[in-house]
Amino acid sequence: MGEQFGDSVDPTAFEVGKHQVDQAVVLTVSGEVDMLSSPQLAEAIETARATRPAALIVDLSKVNFLASAGMTVLVTAQAEVEPPTRFAVVANGSATSRPIKLMGIDSVLSLYSTLDSALSSISGE
Amino acid sequence: MGGQPGTTGCSDQPHSVSSSDDRSRFVRTRVAADAGSAARTRAEFGVWLERHFTLGADQFSDLLLAVNEAIANAAEFAYCDSAQRGTVDVSAAYDGDSDTLAVTVNDQGHWRPKVPVQPQLRGRGIPLMEALADEVTIDRTPHGTHVTLTWTDLTGPGLSA
Repeated sequence: MGEQFGDSVDPTAFEVGKHQVDQAVVLTVSGEVDMLSSPQLAEAIETARATRPAALIVDLSKVNFLASAGMTVLVTAQAEVEPPTRFAVVANGSATSRPIKLMGIDSVLSLYSTLDSALSSISGE
Repeated sequence: MGGQPGTTGCSDQPHSVSSSDDRSRFVRTRVAADAGSAARTRAEFGVWLERHFTLGADQFSDLLLAVNEAIANAAEFAYCDSAQRGTVDVSAAYDGDSDTLAVTVNDQGHWRPKVPVQPQLRGRGIPLMEALADEVTIDRTPHGTHVTLTWTDLTGPGLSA
């Protein structure tokens, strides 16, 4: 059959880092968010959400590709986050905020162009 | 950068052969209909675009995303009711005279979204393609689904500065 598995997976380098800024948990995502990697993003969001932080921010500033599968993860997260926690997304670029806006998802997400603006908006309320 | 045929022991990977690509065409046949192969094919299409065309950042992203969604739909839906994993054929043809790029993604299955869930959460692929490409046709036949994405004035003066 000539099938090959487990080798030469492209260096799409999807990664999620987590850090705390005051009362906010920030997930810093990098690489490509597609149907292959979006389950990992969903899991990272779910894990962070379970700790019920005051704010959960998904920072897509270092994401160079965002497919519909990734947008679905964001919309799902927005729907599942429960009141004490506020959910926000940081995105700014051709590959991220542009398709988010094209699909009108910015109307259901709290979308910020920078992490600083997301943090100050959240702490200012 | 390697790329030598070498002795990999696996010569049955037609989609990895790119020597036949030029500015007028990009062809990957019998790509496995799975997420990893979709990602790889998308990346190869991106390399081809960058090599042969000078596009703006938005334009490049739009092309890559639209093509991704067509491949992803095939990978996700085309074979979900069949025991055997199928394949997808992806090809792009650029016509310099009309400055038109047409990308076709063909599978041999039937798109069947598994379980209908909240419309908010599913089915964003086709609206995305429609938003990103100048024209989208989806031809569902008994023998497979054929998606054609078309961009006109690809390199033309349509977008200023």
